[in-house]
Amino acid sequence: MSDSVRRVLETWVAPETLLPEGEMERWRTGPEREGCPAAVLAPSSEEELAGVLAKASEEGWRVLPAGFGNWLQGGGPADVRLVVSTGKLNKIQEYEPADLTFTAGAGLSLEALSGATGPHGQWLPLDPPGGRVGSLGAVVALGTGGPLRHLYGTPRDHVLGLTLVSGDGQILRWGGRVVKNVAGFDLTRLSIGSWGSLGVVTSVSARLFPIPDMDVTLVVRGLEMSGLLSAARAMARSSLPLAAVELFDSLAPGGPALVVRLLGSRAQVAEMEARINADLSGHAGNTDRLGREESRALHRTLGDWEKGAAMVARLCLLPSELGILLDEAEGLRALATGWSTPGARVALSAHVGAGVVRLGVSDLPEAASALDPWVATLRHLRERVEGKGGSLTLSSGPAFLMREVGPWGVSDGGRDLMAGLKAQFDPAGILAPGRLGLS
Amino acid sequence: MNTLSSGLLAELAAAVGPEWVISEADRLLVYESDAQTAHNLAPQAVVLPSNTDEVAQVARALHRHGVSMVPRGAGTGLSGGALATRGGVVVGTSRMNKILEVDPENRRALVQSGVVNKDLSAETAPFGLHYAPDPSSQTACTIGGNVAENSGGPHCLKYGVTSRYITGLRVVLPDGETVWLGGQGREAPSFDLVGLFVGSEGCFGLATEVEVALVPLPEATCTLLAIFETLGDAGRAVTSIISAGLLPAALEIVDRNTIKAVEASIFAAGYPTDAGAALVVEFDGVDAGLELEAEEAERCCEAAGAREVRRAESAEERLALWKGRKKAFGAMGRLAPDLLVQDATVPRTRLPEVLSRIAEIADRYQLQVANVFHAGDGNLHPNIVFDRRDPEETQRVEAASKEIMGVCVEVGGTITGEHGVGADKQKYMPLVFSPQELELLRKVKGVFDPEGRCNPGKVVPEARSPGSEAVS
Repeated sequence: MSDSVRRVLETWVAPETLLPEGEMERWRTGPEREGCPAAVLAPSSEEELAGVLAKASEEGWRVLPAGFGNWLQGGGPADVRLVVSTGKLNKIQEYEPADLTFTAGAGLSLEALSGATGPHGQWLPLDPPGGRVGSLGAVVALGTGGPLRHLYGTPRDHVLGLTLVSGDGQILRWGGRVVKNVAGFDLTRLSIGSWGSLGVVTSVSARLFPIPDMDVTLVVRGLEMSGLLSAARAMARSSLPLAAVELFDSLAPGGPALVVRLLGSRAQVAEMEARINADLSGHAGNTDRLGREESRALHRTLGDWEKGAAMVARLCLLPSELGILLDEAEGLRALATGWSTPGARVALSAHVGAGVVRLGVSDLPEAASALDPWVATLRHLRERVEGKGGSLTLSSGPAFLMREVGPWGVSDGGRDLMAGLKAQFDPAGILAPGRLGLS
Repeated sequence: MNTLSSGLLAELAAAVGPEWVISEADRLLVYESDAQTAHNLAPQAVVLPSNTDEVAQVARALHRHGVSMVPRGAGTGLSGGALATRGGVVVGTSRMNKILEVDPENRRALVQSGVVNKDLSAETAPFGLHYAPDPSSQTACTIGGNVAENSGGPHCLKYGVTSRYITGLRVVLPDGETVWLGGQGREAPSFDLVGLFVGSEGCFGLATEVEVALVPLPEATCTLLAIFETLGDAGRAVTSIISAGLLPAALEIVDRNTIKAVEASIFAAGYPTDAGAALVVEFDGVDAGLELEAEEAERCCEAAGAREVRRAESAEERLALWKGRKKAFGAMGRLAPDLLVQDATVPRTRLPEVLSRIAEIADRYQLQVANVFHAGDGNLHPNIVFDRRDPEETQRVEAASKEIMGVCVEVGGTITGEHGVGADKQKYMPLVFSPQELELLRKVKGVFDPEGRCNPGKVVPEARSPGSEAVS
């Protein structure tokens, strides 16, 4: 079947757009047989991509949009015929440093973007999970942020406009490259975080920020989690413009840690540091100070821990409810030591100000029967979090676990509206099946 | 216009109480326009519900009778968005003015949509928190109106506009169904329906309750006022401040015509009337380092040719420096009977060029333009003073406005930065959207409002025959 699909595709696109068959394994969208796409396409223009989607809509072939293929199974296996990568749409189309804005193809990596803007003393302050190897388009489509969201926000706060190729192959431009724009309904925001289910993001305009003179990170250790959490909560509530307030557990030797990043002018950072140290002096923990290079190095690796994890879940809670995790994490830890390979670890990292937590397990058993306790525990955790108005998304995990627990959970209001909106953008229903719980 | 059936009026009265249904012609005059007085048309009736349930009952009654619903906050909008231009009933939120919950622990508040912007910040100040977006009308405008328009304000340069601060919405849809969107952080596995609703100008439904994110009050503020011989010099100072890597909380410019109007009014702020432009620069944050930032901004202003830079040393002095900017619109009332408050955004670096092209357009049409704008955001307000009773002059105003919009779009900008499209700028929408994009905007509205009865005739121009969509 895959041969016949490829023969048809050869009539749709330039030969170099169709990736060689030998590379299919790298683009798996699920662990099982149906998780291997018949073909992967990397169009070299928006028009070519639009043509592919228009024809796929006619054929009813399901498509998973992708960047570099880092998140293909994020949110569960996807049963698709094609993967369409924006990897070749990787040019900076417009960059005017004095405007502090840029427009670039969705296939540009965050790393390459920072290489272009850094010499002008500017950056896009986004540090999503997975780090800077990810594509701009994927970060926007998933709407994810990292620790820096405490000061700077998430892609929803940075993106000024984008080009979206809809499921039926229309090239649509929303927003623009100016920082204030209320012309028409805000379809830019609707597209951000829509997981490819409305269209393929092919270019992005966003605002940049000046790179601060000083970059200092304080790492507090030597306290129990509960003590660290209360210190972290107090810090996140202070009026200081802290860049990041993160709580980590079991990510590195030395026990749980509170990581606070300070960005700003020399005088501002000195002031913030002095006040934080004064606040912490009442606690028994010890504080390490990392200067610019060490601080940057730490933050470059902080987002990487979940690569290779056997399971990753993402929780959203009110910051005041983060205590839930403390008791639940203990239950998970007992499961990990009881059921998994020796040395398996449960790790969590929390954006304390936002109440967003990523929870990972380094190793899990293969056998379904051994996963039963995990299924029960995750269901219980989701129920508890949803009971508080929050959510638990299972981003990745063994097939059995993903199937039994489900990636998305019970969603809040607006499901009918979501389905209605998807039908306008993707009338044939070919894009990103299953993402966000949409069929 | 047809009058409403007595059956519908009775249902509305049953929903909100007879004293909160307005249908007498003289009382409806209050609702015939918003702050953009070029558009005026009284609605068929006005109802003033007090809570979500009453709004839902009103919406269901209107839905049953096939009558349009037009949401309205305080009526301070500047694009005719709250007018019943196609007839129908205005649903006003002025009685829904309760702050339901302030949660300092999670830095959020839940308010009814008729709460006045400034009142919310006053209520949260004892917790050291405030609601950041600060439109010029903040002492009157409502949070619900801010949601509808995605309002900005001077301090949005640093803090961002309304949509950054709205985390949840209770919405009564046009058929009377109530949905809760968002809440508890914005990263639940869902489309960003809150982000889509913000800025939808009352076309998707009526938001009755709003969950907002609060931010800490800045510990310290440092404000400068720089006086320039020309508007171009002020524009260059802005570019130079941004290029220096400074991030002020606000960067605001008023031009010569505006200064003259302000200084001749009761709002006189002590700006020199022979100046070409005045620039307000404000920094906020922790006290340490603000002084250095202000000094650097001062150097940028001087290098751009400022003849004088004043610095506020006290809260009173700060208010005095701001006065000329904040009272500009009020003062312009002196210049002529009518004022067309324009709104557009351009890339910051194109400001000097665009300003001189606007001046050229104004000269050519023999019109007086007074510029007040959020320079740091590239958000222009070239305001045209005129007399509506003079049809020939009014025509010149229209023609000049259209050219100004064209210039802003041509340099990579857009037709509205913060006032919305409403009834006023639909004609310019094809300047920024293709026919396919306009069609999708219509379809998106249709998802919320399949029968097209929620604030009809706003934002998206109606479809014409294929291929005929062009600026008229």
